Amino acid sequence: MQAVVLAAGKGERLWPLTENRPKPMIPVANRPLLEHIVDALVDAGVDEIILVVGSNRERVQRHFENGDAWNVDIDYVVQDPQLGTGHALLQAERQVGESFVALNGDRIIDASLVEDVWARHEETGDPAMGVTQVEQPSQYGVVELDGETVIDIEEQPIPELAASKFINAGVYAFDPSIFAAIRRTESYGEQALTDTLSEELDDQQIRAVRYRGRWLDVSEPWDLLAVNSALIDGRSPQHRESATIADSAVVTDNTVIGDGVVVHPNATILGGVTLGDNVSVGAGAVVKNAILLSDCTIESGAIMTDCIVGANASLGPNTTVEGGTADVVLDDTVYRDVRFGGLTGDNVDVGANVTVAPGAIVGNDATVDSGTLVAGRIDDGSHVTRG
Amino acid sequence: MCGITGYIGTDETGKIVHQGLQNLEYRGYDSAGIALNGTNLTVHKTEGEVGDLPVPAGDDVVCGIGHTRWSTHGEPTEENAHPHTDCTGEVAVVHNGIVENYDDLKAELHGDHVFRSDTDTEVIPHLVEDHLAEDVSLLTAVQRATSRLEGSFAVAVTAAGHDGIIVARQDSPLLLGHGDGETFIGSDATAFIEHTDRVTYLENGDIAHVTKQGVDIFNDGERVERTTETLDWDADAAGKSGYDHYMLKEIHEQPRALRQAISGRIDDLATNVDLTLDLPDEYLQSVEEVQIVACGTSYHAGLFAKELLEAKADVRVTVHVASEYDFRGGRDPWRTLVVAITQSGETADTLSALREASQAGTRTLALTNTLGSTVTREADDTVFIRAGPEIGVAATKTFVSQVATAALFSVYLGRVRNEMTTETATDLLESLRDLPGAVQQVLDREAKIRETAREYADSDAFFYVGRRAGYPVALESALKLKEISYDHAEGFAAGELKHGPLALVTDDTPVIALLTSETARKKTLNNVKEVKSRGAPVIGVASDPDATTHVDATFDVPDCGAMEPVVANVALQLFAYHVADEKGRPIDKPRNLAKSVTVE
Repeated sequence: MQAVVLAAGKGERLWPLTENRPKPMIPVANRPLLEHIVDALVDAGVDEIILVVGSNRERVQRHFENGDAWNVDIDYVVQDPQLGTGHALLQAERQVGESFVALNGDRIIDASLVEDVWARHEETGDPAMGVTQVEQPSQYGVVELDGETVIDIEEQPIPELAASKFINAGVYAFDPSIFAAIRRTESYGEQALTDTLSEELDDQQIRAVRYRGRWLDVSEPWDLLAVNSALIDGRSPQHRESATIADSAVVTDNTVIGDGVVVHPNATILGGVTLGDNVSVGAGAVVKNAILLSDCTIESGAIMTDCIVGANASLGPNTTVEGGTADVVLDDTVYRDVRFGGLTGDNVDVGANVTVAPGAIVGNDATVDSGTLVAGRIDDGSHVTRG
Repeated sequence: MCGITGYIGTDETGKIVHQGLQNLEYRGYDSAGIALNGTNLTVHKTEGEVGDLPVPAGDDVVCGIGHTRWSTHGEPTEENAHPHTDCTGEVAVVHNGIVENYDDLKAELHGDHVFRSDTDTEVIPHLVEDHLAEDVSLLTAVQRATSRLEGSFAVAVTAAGHDGIIVARQDSPLLLGHGDGETFIGSDATAFIEHTDRVTYLENGDIAHVTKQGVDIFNDGERVERTTETLDWDADAAGKSGYDHYMLKEIHEQPRALRQAISGRIDDLATNVDLTLDLPDEYLQSVEEVQIVACGTSYHAGLFAKELLEAKADVRVTVHVASEYDFRGGRDPWRTLVVAITQSGETADTLSALREASQAGTRTLALTNTLGSTVTREADDTVFIRAGPEIGVAATKTFVSQVATAALFSVYLGRVRNEMTTETATDLLESLRDLPGAVQQVLDREAKIRETAREYADSDAFFYVGRRAGYPVALESALKLKEISYDHAEGFAAGELKHGPLALVTDDTPVIALLTSETARKKTLNNVKEVKSRGAPVIGVASDPDATTHVDATFDVPDCGAMEPVVANVALQLFAYHVADEKGRPIDKPRNLAKSVTVE
């Protein structure tokens, strides 16, 4: 079975993490979102994966290489410029032989969804699409159903007008006629796959496959913490052997620790924490419900709660990310009362005794002087000074 | 240098041997050939790349051998391509190495045999032909033939009417890969790594009979058992994974390679390093001099290692181009440690220097990337750089991994000898920890480097200058550019410019200045002014913006302490890559070059 995975997505709302990597390469539980999807595909019996990649594609390519580590053949096609999901799928046309599954590279699903969608397509010969129920369907493509058939797809309707609780789970099975259909679809700039599907509904039955399993979407930064925690909860701690943990440090269950990590004396790593490769946590530091990307340094006495720290960032002694809830503005939308201690980008250099207020987002390569208070949104490369 | 492959089994032999040659093409590629043994023996050869050779097929093919050649004796022509055959066309031989007494042997054979090529190799099939005439098995014939050879060889022989393939080695690498009812032959594992990772390395003097039933190995007339090892490489080497070139892929793999190099080796809590070395502490404490022997890029890594070892660990170090090495100068061999740096572990010049040192009575340490390679068996002790397979002829990730591993060794040695303070060790280890992240930052800035590379690509020549650790980086960065773009590029100690090379500087020769930390950059800035006043454009590589106020273009690198020059090297790898790419050069297969040079 062939699978086409759309892995070129930018994910603007996850700025600044998506400046240096495509959204599917953001890690949760120390593995990129996309790797969780590749695992599901392999479990579902996929033996060839075509990854549609775009900006920062090197990150994807060097992680997955030719797929041998996952026992699957991985090929790459480049989408440049990026003009929507339909356009992305078109790029894979020459690589696809017969029927195939197609899915988004940034939503974690179970293998059963892929298996079921594929089986339905095999049975009926019609395009098949996974649908799942969520609490707030209006953020997604809401799907109106008649039994097992799709009647309508409405992208992000006003909540009151949402026709059902079912949304498009972003997993499809098609035969190659889909490419001609995408080309037939009128588009102005962006070419969305769901536009094609909506248009096709008039003369082509699209089968819906109901799915109740794990469907983890990362739209906003705090979703990363929830997904990270969902993936590591209740599992035995996953600590790489090459990590060094001082005898007096406390590392609880529900933690993931990467290669070459060092946890210095008296540091405390509590539940829901993922430490990327080569992360160093200083003496007496406390980390709780947080994702630290690779190569970060947390100095002595720092407190990191409910937060995400970008790769190669450095946080000075006694710096505090206090955690808790905040109102956060993203993309002109106000999100009230989200539990989100903050997000600092790649290579951020934070001095000593800095207080990071809940909800703060600091851009890549920013420098924050000792003793400052950081709140709100700080642009890439900024220098935050005292006074 | 040249590559050998072979196959016996149930799959399509021609296809597998052909693929093996393509995998090995990085070792040399000016001609290639395959012999298939079935109903009869057929030989297929071409001048040029393996791609020019059609995938051969024959009737009832049982086994096959193949060769990709990089000329040492005789021009790259179809006649000189391997496999070579005897007068009857029934014995086919592929060979790596050099038959040093081939003139004598050729003279001896000349009356009875017709030679068709200029190669040293061709004496082997004719010798085998003579011995087969004595009505012995192919194994015995090859054994008798190779006993006549002086020099180094790895050979694979197959002959019409004889079962299987005979392989033999002396001072040239050869290994067997074990599949399910099939056996692969390779001069390195890259030849067949996509089929199996279970391998047997042959030792010097081994001769083996490879048949469908399995492998029988003999040494000195006795049957011997050799262990089967499982390689920890995966078959990633088999693909470029969407990158345009292996070199670019390998440049991008550097953060991971560096994390692997240091992983589990740094004891932060004790501020020390664990390299699981067997060399006794007492011996290391008594060493008066470390001699580093290496070639090419590894030599530059050696020069960098010298900076670290002398400046941080306070031990005397000399660095030797391996082909020029002799143990002399009144040194005490009991108080000399010789460190051989070789990516492949098979570099003939380096191995030869290592043997010279060993014979003089020194202890030896290998710094290599390749498990099971010759150097690991010949040196007293080995530290692996853990960079993973490197396919691009121009070394990139192995250089940075060699330097990082050398830095670990300098901490180890400095601490054992009680010559390195905790403070110095902490700083150095911290900069090592910072290195993978810093390299990633440079990779994230590739677009800017590419732009600058395009702007300067058409310059007449490129000069790289640096001091201290910046000097080996200048040499290495210049080597990278000349290897892949064919431009004239030279690295100079910055202070040497005014003693001669300054005469070469014009307004069309960009000067690339290493202005990072640990490179005495204030002095180098004076040299920058010298070249600026002669009109040369200057590209500065630095972490501190104050260092680059007088330059025409800048590659910013993150602050990374003693390892900062390594980060600068990564920026300059990308610069070299994009200059060469702009010119459309065959970056993974530069003309006249081979990946690991297994002849002296």
